[in-house]
Amino acid sequence: MSDAGPKLPDRAKRILGRLVDASARERILISFASLALALVVGAILLLASGAFATCGSPFLVFGGIEFCYNPIEVYRVMLNGAIGSPYSIGLTLRETTLLILAGVAVAVTFQAGIFNIGTQGQFVVGGLAGAALVQYTADILPANAVGGILLFVLGLAAAGVAGALYGALPGVLLAYYDANEVITTIMLNFIATAVAFTTVRSFLREGAAVQTALVPDYAVPPSIVFPEASSFSVLIFIPTLLIAFGAHYMLKNSPLGYNIRLSGEQPAAAKYSGVDAKRVIVRTFTLSGLIGGLTGGVFVFMVLGYWQPSVPQVGFDGITVSVLAANNPLGVIPAAALFGVIKSGAIALDLQLGVPRQLAGVLRGIIILFVAMPEFMRMIGRKFGLGETSATPAQERVTEENDD
Amino acid sequence: MSHSVELTDIRKTFPGVVANDDVSLSVGDGDIHVILGENGAGKSTLMNVLYGLYQPDSGTIRINGEEKRFDSPQDAIDEGIGMIHQHFKLVGPMTVTENIVLGSEPTDSFGIGVDMKTARREVREISERYGFDIDPDAVVEDVSVGVRQRVEILKALYRGADILILDEPTAVLTPDEIESLFEVFEELIDQGKTIIFITHKLDEAMTVADDITVLREGRNVTTLPVEEATNNHLAELMVGDEVLLELNREPHPKGDVLLTVDDLQVANDDTTLVEGVDLTVREGETLGIAGVDGNGQSELSDAIAGLLDADGGSVTFDGEDVTDWDRKRLNDAGLAYIPPDRQEQGLVMNFDHGENVILGEQHTFPIGRRMRDDELAEKIIEEYDVRTSGTGAPAKSLSGGNQQKLLVGRELERDPKLVIASNPTRGLDVGSIEFIHEQLLSVRRDDRAVLLISSKLDELQQLSDRIAVMYEGEIIDTVDPETVTERELGLLMAGQELTDVSPNSDRGEGTSQTAGIDGESE
Repeated sequence: MSDAGPKLPDRAKRILGRLVDASARERILISFASLALALVVGAILLLASGAFATCGSPFLVFGGIEFCYNPIEVYRVMLNGAIGSPYSIGLTLRETTLLILAGVAVAVTFQAGIFNIGTQGQFVVGGLAGAALVQYTADILPANAVGGILLFVLGLAAAGVAGALYGALPGVLLAYYDANEVITTIMLNFIATAVAFTTVRSFLREGAAVQTALVPDYAVPPSIVFPEASSFSVLIFIPTLLIAFGAHYMLKNSPLGYNIRLSGEQPAAAKYSGVDAKRVIVRTFTLSGLIGGLTGGVFVFMVLGYWQPSVPQVGFDGITVSVLAANNPLGVIPAAALFGVIKSGAIALDLQLGVPRQLAGVLRGIIILFVAMPEFMRMIGRKFGLGETSATPAQERVTEENDD
Repeated sequence: MSHSVELTDIRKTFPGVVANDDVSLSVGDGDIHVILGENGAGKSTLMNVLYGLYQPDSGTIRINGEEKRFDSPQDAIDEGIGMIHQHFKLVGPMTVTENIVLGSEPTDSFGIGVDMKTARREVREISERYGFDIDPDAVVEDVSVGVRQRVEILKALYRGADILILDEPTAVLTPDEIESLFEVFEELIDQGKTIIFITHKLDEAMTVADDITVLREGRNVTTLPVEEATNNHLAELMVGDEVLLELNREPHPKGDVLLTVDDLQVANDDTTLVEGVDLTVREGETLGIAGVDGNGQSELSDAIAGLLDADGGSVTFDGEDVTDWDRKRLNDAGLAYIPPDRQEQGLVMNFDHGENVILGEQHTFPIGRRMRDDELAEKIIEEYDVRTSGTGAPAKSLSGGNQQKLLVGRELERDPKLVIASNPTRGLDVGSIEFIHEQLLSVRRDDRAVLLISSKLDELQQLSDRIAVMYEGEIIDTVDPETVTERELGLLMAGQELTDVSPNSDRGEGTSQTAGIDGESE
């Protein structure tokens, strides 16, 4: 390790090292500055693409060029679409709920220095398990509130357990067979999607469409406070917040949490203090998978109402959310809210302003990229051992372990 | 007299720390200029500024009278400055020649490939010119640490360095190797080079220097010619007050046997790292283990402490067979371990004091309890004189000496029966060294035991009741620190049995060269 770090120009190393050593306050400031910069770049992009588009009433004609999209109007509509009415707030919070869960699932493993890309797969498997349980047990249970609660609880439990088992798999592979977690989790994501598709098509399909049976109305958590159409339930949102707080509490108040942080910070110190790194890896992955699976369950019960093989990339968004939150479960809450706002704002753009969906997607991507990139670079810097406070990556720790 | 390097009012700050506080210094052409100071005095920072690794906040650098600005080490290399770092930057499986020309290879007539013939010739020429006895075709990982260091020096010379900066070059060398490094210095000076030599060892400074600059807390305390310096004076300048260099290890009665190691074996793949080691440590006793780094000491201590599985033999601690116990169980049984690397193993740099003091005891905490102990941290800060801004400060904010005090305090506050201390004072300033020595003596006074692994001979002689010398995984002799000389210890560390030694014997030199090869890669 005497010659640590990749072959990078010294200047790049210095900048990465500086990022690694940035204080919490500096990092929050950087995030806001990035957001502002993203809005400026997005505005330039809107002006430029508006000049090429053809429209009936350009908001500005300048030097013979017609500008179709007014950036300020675009941002206003986005904000309005995200938080302008109880309905849109409901939609935003629904999205936020999923992102909080997925973000926490990722954050737990990232805290341990494990680059877990597998939350998407656990989300898929969890959702499938929850929907399958509903399909098979709905007829047995009474069709009333009690049966609904029972169905809901059992469904989420199935989703959590399935996610946990599916998450434990790459954990075992990393801990005992030295298989790089980035590669195994990405592969397991593909496997999850393929298995889900085959299972639904061959076993769970009831009609023509490749999808599971509908969750009965009495098992869907009620939309109190917010309009029913937003299908957002505070009854799920609050426990979700509790999971984020619980994850934070677990990290600070349990030996497992201490060991997770310890393994992420300094694997050698973990070993020195008698921590069984392999066990910590498997437990961390299992815990992360549990939350990832729950995300799938919540998606089935609250958002979609059934399960189908093509689902949104909530698990991947969770990675970005976690990175933006510096892998702090409490930080995941505002980070997920920001993402929720951007996501439902982008939908409103398409509907209200006639800004093409692709452009709205680009705008969304720019904001996310800008805001997440500083923290992401910071993690890369740490992985390469730059800065004064770097840890060794998980991979190396296990390799050392397996050598003896 | 002309000055080849002149630094004027160099100031370099890091968040919260002034590493160099308007340091000025001039190095005479063809001189050996020693920069002396405790760890954290700003020596390395100053040299990294000169080498272009850091940009100073203010101040100027002049090389041969001309003002320069170095944005990167390449700029410094272009001006004839070469730096040899403490940790070598060599590629193990490549030959000496390949390492030396790496990055500035002579190209063949097509301008594409490497002209290895020319490279080898040039390396041989340059090596002969400076009287280095080096085989250009030797593979770097097969040669000793001393030879590797010369390869580093040749690398700098090959790139046309006239001013050589050596950052604590002696830390990894045996006494013999240090001596021959100093001979190399003479040769370089004869050839018109200028040397800047960073160290915190007084004797070395006195031996080779023309001028000595003492840095303390980022400031240049003084620069003086070696004729005006004495050991005591320099030590005073380094720490700011009078230092006691003699320690009082009063005799102490020995109690029952506490630790017995019997025929212990530790192997890694096909190499045996610890081979049939037998040891006993009694209550009230300090057993020292001497040896050049990489001769199995760290594996021995890790195996006894429960971090490595033994491949044979047994360990008995406090009357129980603990051969298969893990670190947790041994910690609970009263076996404390001060590990060799405080920044990687012993402390978690981003954890604060409250979190760090429970490291090793975390498994005893029930779920729901805050994973920290601020009361204990307060107590350690108080009793072990840890200079810190508070229990909430991360360990990385402490100086090396204070980090080690926090670590030693944590291990000793657990009231252990046996303390394994592996190089507990490496790289520390004089004040911290004394403090930690005093703590280790008090362990012994309390009828507890210390197993001290160290590469510092004076430390071993001052603290130990017996010294066992390890060489290539075996204990080749156990000696009495009162009667053994540093020269005898040096010979044992190089693998020669004392009975073999005739005054002019060079036998065993070859084997000693291979001794510490992997020392730096741990």
